Amino acid sequence: MKQGGIDEERRRFIAFALTPSLIVLFAVAVLPAIYLVVTSLTPFQLTAPGSATDFSAPLRNYGLLPGDPRFVNSLVVQAKLSFWGVLFQVLLGMLLALLLNVQSRFVEFARTFFLIPMVLPPIVVAVIWKLIYTPDISPLYYAAQALHFTMPALTSSVDFALTAIIIADTWEWLPFTFLMVLAALQTIPDEYSEAALVDGANRLQIFWYVTLPFITPILVISGMFRLIDSVKAFPLIFLLTSGGPGTVTEVTNYYAYLLAFDTNEIGYSSAVTVVMLLLVAGISLGLVWMGRRREAMA
Amino acid sequence: MSEHSGRHATPGRLVAITITLLILLSPFLWLLQMSFKSNDQILQFPPPLIFTPTLENYISLWHSAFSASFVNSLLSASLSTALALLFGIPAAYALSRWAGRGKHGLSFAILVTRMAPPIAFTIPFFLFYRWIGLLDTITGLVLVYTSFNLPLVIWMMQPFFDTVPISLEEAALVDGARTRTVFTKIVLPMVTPGIAATAILCFLYAWNDFFFALILTRTNARTAPVAVVNFMNYEGWEWGKIAAGGSLVMAPVLIFSLAVRRYLVSGLTAGAVKG
Repeated sequence: MKQGGIDEERRRFIAFALTPSLIVLFAVAVLPAIYLVVTSLTPFQLTAPGSATDFSAPLRNYGLLPGDPRFVNSLVVQAKLSFWGVLFQVLLGMLLALLLNVQSRFVEFARTFFLIPMVLPPIVVAVIWKLIYTPDISPLYYAAQALHFTMPALTSSVDFALTAIIIADTWEWLPFTFLMVLAALQTIPDEYSEAALVDGANRLQIFWYVTLPFITPILVISGMFRLIDSVKAFPLIFLLTSGGPGTVTEVTNYYAYLLAFDTNEIGYSSAVTVVMLLLVAGISLGLVWMGRRREAMA
Repeated sequence: MSEHSGRHATPGRLVAITITLLILLSPFLWLLQMSFKSNDQILQFPPPLIFTPTLENYISLWHSAFSASFVNSLLSASLSTALALLFGIPAAYALSRWAGRGKHGLSFAILVTRMAPPIAFTIPFFLFYRWIGLLDTITGLVLVYTSFNLPLVIWMMQPFFDTVPISLEEAALVDGARTRTVFTKIVLPMVTPGIAATAILCFLYAWNDFFFALILTRTNARTAPVAVVNFMNYEGWEWGKIAAGGSLVMAPVLIFSLAVRRYLVSGLTAGAVKG
């Protein structure tokens, strides 16, 4: 009887501890999401009274999207940015992790410094790359000048602007993949590579047949995280290119921002955001599903 | 712990590591050295690598509106951290001890609330704040940062509670203690390091925010990251101030990151799903 009393009290305490958070999360996450969908069904403009509650043509915004070249372009730009960014971050992160996977007090101490770009405030990262890409004060342009080589203006060039963003984004997030891969490398038992060495494998073969299969899951997972997160490059785009030149670096996130807070097209921007959310959610769920399948097969 | 497959450090590898580190950090170091240069020195070609450092950029920031925005950042980041901990810690404990079905589903759902790109929250928050008058207020910022940090607290604290042996609690309960007392007197003291690490990460997330502050504040509640960018728009690209402002904004981040580097992975991974 006493046991039952304790259980009952515990159950009540657990409910009591969980409820406030659930209420807060509902209020600040679920309600805004619903409100976003509601606004996306209206032609809401901050300057047009009554437009916020005009549900006469609820799917109008969504109908406009496929024919909006800026929207379609923004998806392509995001795809390019995500693809190259994730690829470079995973590859370079892996190389860095392989380089730093040594037993040494100095290296263990140094590892923390490799994490700096990732922990810096994103806007400071953007300021740093603004310096690097601004010709009058940039060490990059100084070096080019000293070598009598003319550097093109990277962030205002149609050909280089997106690359400039990808480079900065890679610099910022490479430590993340590095950290994940390093953690995986440290779980590989020494015996494996020692056994391979005894069998006469060279270092490349050990990497290919022992190390790589071991770290493949973490390469996939960290790439996944970065893919989902790659829509977050906002500060870089905001500060370095403002989406330009033209719309060369205008990702969907930035387009939605301009629509809502530059041209006051709240309704249309909400529709763009809803589609973007669905895409991100779809990609995440797809990746989770793929992960489950892999686990089930292994 | 030390039995991992790391090779022993050869001198060649140590040199390679040092060079890589210097290359990786050079953009960051460039900003730092620039903050100690006068505007004339900044524009000199070739750039003087050896120069007499000056604090004039920092001093002029101290006397400008930047100091107020620095205080705004401190206030909104600390208050939102405190609130997120207040709500999140009991919730994390409940999830850790809850044996019922749907536990994993619920903790995943909580994390998903961080997955959406910030723009999805800014439009509703902006409209709502505009309606009830919370635009450009610290309260408004604290509210939005708390909502972003709450899932992080729940996600990060749960494993810490998992490590507290349940038998310890049961013993106290059998002795007649109330669950509430067991939680505050026995469980909480055991997870203090976790609370400290979580608090720092929450602080950093709020401190690092640019997007919400850009849209939800104007002048009164403007935070330091937005203030740095404003030096580029209105005051004619004062690079010295921009560099000094940037350095000041990253100072707490660097100090705190060193303090919690053991917990960085779990914190950043939980955050990474945010999008």
